[in-house]
Amino acid sequence: MSVHFVAEVEEIPEGHRKIVQVGKRSIGIFNIRGEYYALLNYCPHYGAELCKGIVSGTTMESKVYEYIYGKDQEIIRCPWHGWEFDIKTGCSLFDEKVRAKRYEVIVQEGRIGLVLGASSSEAKGEQ
Amino acid sequence: MAKQGIDIIDCDVHISLRGGHDLLPYMPDAMKRRLLESGTGALYSGYYSPVGVPRKDAAPPGGGPAASDPDFLVEQLIDQHQIDYALLTGTMYDVSSGHDADYAAAIVSAYNDYVLDHWIGKHPSFKGTVAVSTIDPQLAAREIDRLGQHPDMVAVIMSSAARMPFGQRFYHPIYEAAERQGLPVMIHPGTEGAGSTNGPTAAGYPSYYLEWHTCLSQTFMAHLVSLVCEGVFEKYPKLKFVLVEGGVAWLPHLMWRLDKNYKALRSQVPWLKKMPSQYIREHCYLTTQPIEEPDRPGDLITLFNMIDAENMLLFSSDYPHWDFDDPHAILRTMPADMKRKIYYENAKQLFKL
Repeated sequence: MSVHFVAEVEEIPEGHRKIVQVGKRSIGIFNIRGEYYALLNYCPHYGAELCKGIVSGTTMESKVYEYIYGKDQEIIRCPWHGWEFDIKTGCSLFDEKVRAKRYEVIVQEGRIGLVLGASSSEAKGEQ
Repeated sequence: MAKQGIDIIDCDVHISLRGGHDLLPYMPDAMKRRLLESGTGALYSGYYSPVGVPRKDAAPPGGGPAASDPDFLVEQLIDQHQIDYALLTGTMYDVSSGHDADYAAAIVSAYNDYVLDHWIGKHPSFKGTVAVSTIDPQLAAREIDRLGQHPDMVAVIMSSAARMPFGQRFYHPIYEAAERQGLPVMIHPGTEGAGSTNGPTAAGYPSYYLEWHTCLSQTFMAHLVSLVCEGVFEKYPKLKFVLVEGGVAWLPHLMWRLDKNYKALRSQVPWLKKMPSQYIREHCYLTTQPIEEPDRPGDLITLFNMIDAENMLLFSSDYPHWDFDDPHAILRTMPADMKRKIYYENAKQLFKL
């Protein structure tokens, strides 16, 4: 396990993202209302650059013919086929077993770090 | 001809009136004159079949149209093919192609009463279906509630020819009533392209009965996708839906396409809580006739296996129509367990026989 500092907090204001390269990995870091989250820039469907998709909210589970908008800023849609992923967990919205790889993010002294490694930190969606 | 060894429930048997006058005693007085002068109001598709619609050997020896004589139907279908139960699906789909909702409702009510008087009880294998017109779903719901508790009425039947896809909320009163009465809803082709219904193919009106009949599956696909996407099975979780005579072999590709699209487009239908194909598996059934006949018969079994179709199919013969399927002649390469489910167990459970 190791921490890779890849950005300054000023670089990723709320509602924005930055895609960084760490070794062979391309990783997107998202600022959702002041909290940072990171996903591998790779869609588990066909390998598109997931983190380049549109960030938005979506319709939440509801009764028939009812639309409830939620998860504002928390959804990334793959730029190729539009699959929705929850940025906070990496899980797709149609099947939580289909997920993008996520990474822990830490902030120290104004710098944003990704926690990478083979152990628990290369999280598969667990909190 | 008869062969032993398999229990059979035939889910599509087209009994017929001897003539429109059969309905007169069951019609309200205000409608009788119209029946006498204009018949049942049926608007046919206009597609000419060079082989006709009834089998040429099905005319009762005592006269009348094919399948209008209970005794001869028992002899030619039930006894000869050793059928345990026959769902009498009738011939009243064409009322939904008309324009006058009250007249259509009066016709189907009279027809249902006629069937109860002249067929149900004539043979222990006969089970009835409540015919309804889809022109006015409130009137259909009233008919379902009127007869839904009759012990021998085991389903609702209506035309697959429609003015709009069946998932849409316009039709929901029918599903609410069917669920309330514990009856599956069955749809059946007949008048696609007739009267006020939509064109019989998605490309428009073809020229020949051959085309019309082959493309009936298109309408079924559109109805099925609509039912799932409009959340009918979320809104009516106990509802079961039977697609009669619309073909079977298209089912895998439809389920695959629908699931694939859902992965991208689920935000349009957030009320769906499972993959679309799962709703189809849990709520929908298809009847086998006219079963597709690939060059290699085993291919059909392979296709069934792709989607666990053995739990969704119900045997049907379509007697006495020209494309009748003999239960002992079709699906001969099918494994015994699959056959038992499709020929008997699925229908026994679904219709509580």
